[in-house]
Order: sequence, then C-alpha cells, then structure tokens
Amino acid sequence: MNATAQIRTETCLLLERISRQDRTAFRDLYHSAGPKLMGVLLRILGTRSEAEDALQEVFTRVWLRAGRFDPSRGAGMTWLVALSRNHAIDRLRARKPEQTDDGVAELIVDTAPRAETRLIAQGEARRVTECFDTLEPARAEAVRGAYLDGLSYESLAARHSIPLNTMRTWLRRSLLKLKECLEQ
Amino acid sequence: MTDTPLTPLEEDDALAAEYVLGVLALPERLAAEARLKTDVDFAARVSVWVAHFAPLNEAYASVPVPPDLLPKIESRLFPKASALRGGWRLWLAGAVTAAVVGVGVFMLMPQTAPGAVIANLGDGGSALVYEARHDGSHLMVTRVAGAPAPEGQTHELWVIAPGAAPVSLGLLGTDPLDVEYPRPPAGWVLAVSVEPAGGSPTGAPTGPVILTAEL
Repeated sequence: MNATAQIRTETCLLLERISRQDRTAFRDLYHSAGPKLMGVLLRILGTRSEAEDALQEVFTRVWLRAGRFDPSRGAGMTWLVALSRNHAIDRLRARKPEQTDDGVAELIVDTAPRAETRLIAQGEARRVTECFDTLEPARAEAVRGAYLDGLSYESLAARHSIPLNTMRTWLRRSLLKLKECLEQ
Repeated sequence: MTDTPLTPLEEDDALAAEYVLGVLALPERLAAEARLKTDVDFAARVSVWVAHFAPLNEAYASVPVPPDLLPKIESRLFPKASALRGGWRLWLAGAVTAAVVGVGVFMLMPQTAPGAVIANLGDGGSALVYEARHDGSHLMVTRVAGAPAPEGQTHELWVIAPGAAPVSLGLLGTDPLDVEYPRPPAGWVLAVSVEPAGGSPTGAPTGPVILTAEL
C-alpha cells in the first residue's frame, strides 16, 4: 500500500469511528485532515479569518454528518474536501457584492498553474489531466479555476472578457466534453 | 455542433457539474441544493462529478491550522457535559434549600423564554412535553408539561442530522436547558431519551427514546 492510499484508508476509518461518536477519532481527523481542508477554505475564501471560521463550521458538520459518509462511493478525503468546498462556496455566493471573490482568486491563481499542473499529473490524476488537455486551453483553465478557486460565472466572464451567457454556454459544452473523455 | 441545444439529460448533467464546480449564482445554487434532496437521479449525477473532479484536489496545498481552533469546535459540539452536570448539582443544592424554606414552588413557575419556538417534543396530548426555542445563538429547551425523569434517571436531549448519529446537547432537569448551539436546519430531529443519572455513559442514547420532533 502506498502512502497516499494509506492516508485515505485512515481517513475512512476515522470517519467511521466519528459516526459512532468517537471523540478521539474526531481529534485525530482534525490533525490529519485539518491542514488540507484549511488549504481548500483559504484558497476559496481568501482570508485566514474567514477560512478559520469556515473550518469550525466544516468540522461541526463532519461530527454531525459522519454517518452519511459511504466509503463505497469514494475516498474519505474526497468527501471531506467536497464538504469544505460546498461550505466555502455557499459563503462566497451569500456575500453581498458578487465580484469580491475575483481579486483574491486572481492573486493566487496567477502564481500557481504550473505547480498545479505538475501535481495533478501525478498518480491517478493523470487521466483528468489528459481529458483537460482535450479542451481548448482557455476553457480548461476556466473549468480548473472555477473548481479550485470557487469562481462564479460572473467572475469567470469578467476574467475572460466575454458575456456571461457566452461563458455559460462555453463552460457547459466543455464540461460535457470532459465527461465524455473521462467516461470513455 | 456547438449550436445544437442540449438534450434534457445533458442539461441535468451540465447543471450537476455546475453545482459541483460552484459557478452558479446563489438562487440557482439553492435551487440545485433543494433538488439534490428530492431527486435521486440528480444526486447520483452530482456524486459522479464529485468523483470526476476529485483528482484536482491534489492542487490544494495544506496550510497549518491554528492550535486554538479545535477546543473552540469541541466546546461548540460537546456542550460541556461536566459543566452541565456541575450546574445540575448546584441547582439541586439550591432546590433543597428552597424547599426547606418553603418556596420551592416558585422554581416550577413558567418562565418566559426568549427566542422563537422551533419544535415541540411531545405534542398531541402526551403527558410529557418539552418546548425547544432558538434565539439565534442559543437553544433553550423547557419542560412545559409532565414530570422530570424519576430519581436515578435523567432525560437527555439529542440532535440528529439526517443520516447521522445522535449528538447529545445536554441533560434535561427541572430547569430549562440552555446551550450555545447553531439553529438546526429543517429535516433535523430533536429527541429525548431516558438515561441513568448523569447522562448516557456511552455518548449515544442507551435508554428508550421517549420523544422526537422533526424540525
């Protein structure tokens, strides 16, 4: 078993114990998964203070919902990251001026893509990278930016300087193309 | 080809992907969330997209977590069984003193609790009724009919998220239970079980669940 697989299995076991109200497991999960989830929240929300607030909420939900985690449907870490992304995006979308998320994301994205591509090219993620490569580079970048930074259609349209509806048509086509490739 | 409209299935699939990506504006996002709860097929599409995008998660860097966050989370989730029990003992001592001087009856007088009623546990003519209120930050549960648990036992309050295990919110004695707790969303359940004095020894309900209310 390689290191990554081992961490995944551990996360599943911890979630199972948490669903049985095991507080030690909860603490262990906080220490093992907390930094990754903090990374997700910080990247999407942009400020440490909001990310810390969100992390509290995420771990509250983990405690209350661990029983819903189904290991047959995916890795524990995938479930945790999905929960964190959802919460962060809910927070972003509930913010009053819709465009405030753009500046923050820009800051991080511009420095990151190369390292990202390298990371993603490792292991089982290779398939996704290959499928992203079947899209036009600008479109692949839009999908990736939306996912990693939690960008809204509005922010994406502004960033790519195209009307919102065009952006949406564009992105939907790209997503379906991506799916076709991934499910081949 | 780009001009062909999407088929209804493709529309659903694209919407599921948009929801997972997070690109939707708030009203559409909320609509998708509502659909997730009732539409099994749509929920399955969402799960597929979560799995498809999961490899991208490797691009999220790990960031150290501040050391003082875990205690905050724990105090929010585990509303200090020890403090509650301490308070209970203190109250007992007070009640005994009050009974001795013959004013014990005032302890049972209805109190005007703040906050909106979010649930009644034991509606519809049951002998025992607890009323749950929430004022935005605190959950307050007051017995409005019936007797407290007999000596040697206690009533314990639980909150249950859909599909999750019950979480203890504290013990229900004669005085109202007041805990700092976020307002539970619709679909969650409040329940009361009978436990040995001091509360469930395992952290999960051990005695019979006598009252429940879905929010």
